[in-house]
Amino acid sequence: MIVCLAVVGHENNPLYIQSFTESDDALKLHHIVHCSLDVIDERVNNPKKSSPTINEAFLGLLYPTENYKVYGYLTNTKVKFILVTTDLDIRDADVRNVSLLFFRKFHAAYVDAVSNPFHIPGKKITSKTFRERVSSIVKSFGLSSAS
Amino acid sequence: MVREVSESCVESLLSEIVLSYCSGFYANKPELAARRIEAIGFQVGHQLSERYTMDRPRFTDNLEAIKFICKDFWSELFKKQIDNLKTNHRGTFVLQDNRFRWLAHMSIDPLVQASGNIQDPSAMAENKSAQATGMHLYFPCGIIRGTLSNLGIECAVSADISNLPACELITLITYNSFSYI
Repeated sequence: MIVCLAVVGHENNPLYIQSFTESDDALKLHHIVHCSLDVIDERVNNPKKSSPTINEAFLGLLYPTENYKVYGYLTNTKVKFILVTTDLDIRDADVRNVSLLFFRKFHAAYVDAVSNPFHIPGKKITSKTFRERVSSIVKSFGLSSAS
Repeated sequence: MVREVSESCVESLLSEIVLSYCSGFYANKPELAARRIEAIGFQVGHQLSERYTMDRPRFTDNLEAIKFICKDFWSELFKKQIDNLKTNHRGTFVLQDNRFRWLAHMSIDPLVQASGNIQDPSAMAENKSAQATGMHLYFPCGIIRGTLSNLGIECAVSADISNLPACELITLITYNSFSYI
């Protein structure tokens, strides 16, 4: 179950944060997203020799907390996408493919939102279309991963 | 879904931008007009770079980013690649396009081709036409600057049109983010 999505710019400024559960404390989720930024910086600056390629966009599982898993994705333009989920019972191989697919669709929606001439780069994304698109992507992934 | 754009519309829009800014908004202030046009190009390049770097692995250094502009980016915009790339290995890159698409329909003043002594009024006319054509190049310079800036590379881009329809875009990189991320 996808709990929270965030888009963070290259100066670590938040561009879009959305939580998908009413029960969880939004602040706690924001804190998790914030901590994961450090993990991303670490991953990017010290690439492990064993990782397949240091230049791939999908960073994989950043760190698991007791209730959540956090996945990261870094674009060429240094924009970071962070995904917080509660799917603790799915195998790692499946989860990797599923989250990669999710990030691809999310990236496409982000690119369309940023191409809006009324969007100011560096400011938050306020487009309703983007919000709706993201909600529909999350819904479709929620249904597929529930199976 | 493949989207198509009418090329003649794009060219009309570009000439209209130059006309509006040079003769309308900032008449008699060509430097200000040039800066505004370049700023428009900057934003366009910024947004285009998001779109065209989407499925690529991250760039490792400046040369990779410039090669991306020469090959993929230029093919997306102009359906051809940059014809010649020169560098001094110290941050300056010269991108040469032998037939720049947006200048292809501009007339070349025959006086420009003449060399040797030129009378004063003709020289002034040559200067004016070169200046007018040069105004049209601020937009593509801005596009390149916007694209590189979104990839973390600060630069200054200028254009050289000594032999139309070929056009050289000179990129001087002042700061890049590959020393740290």
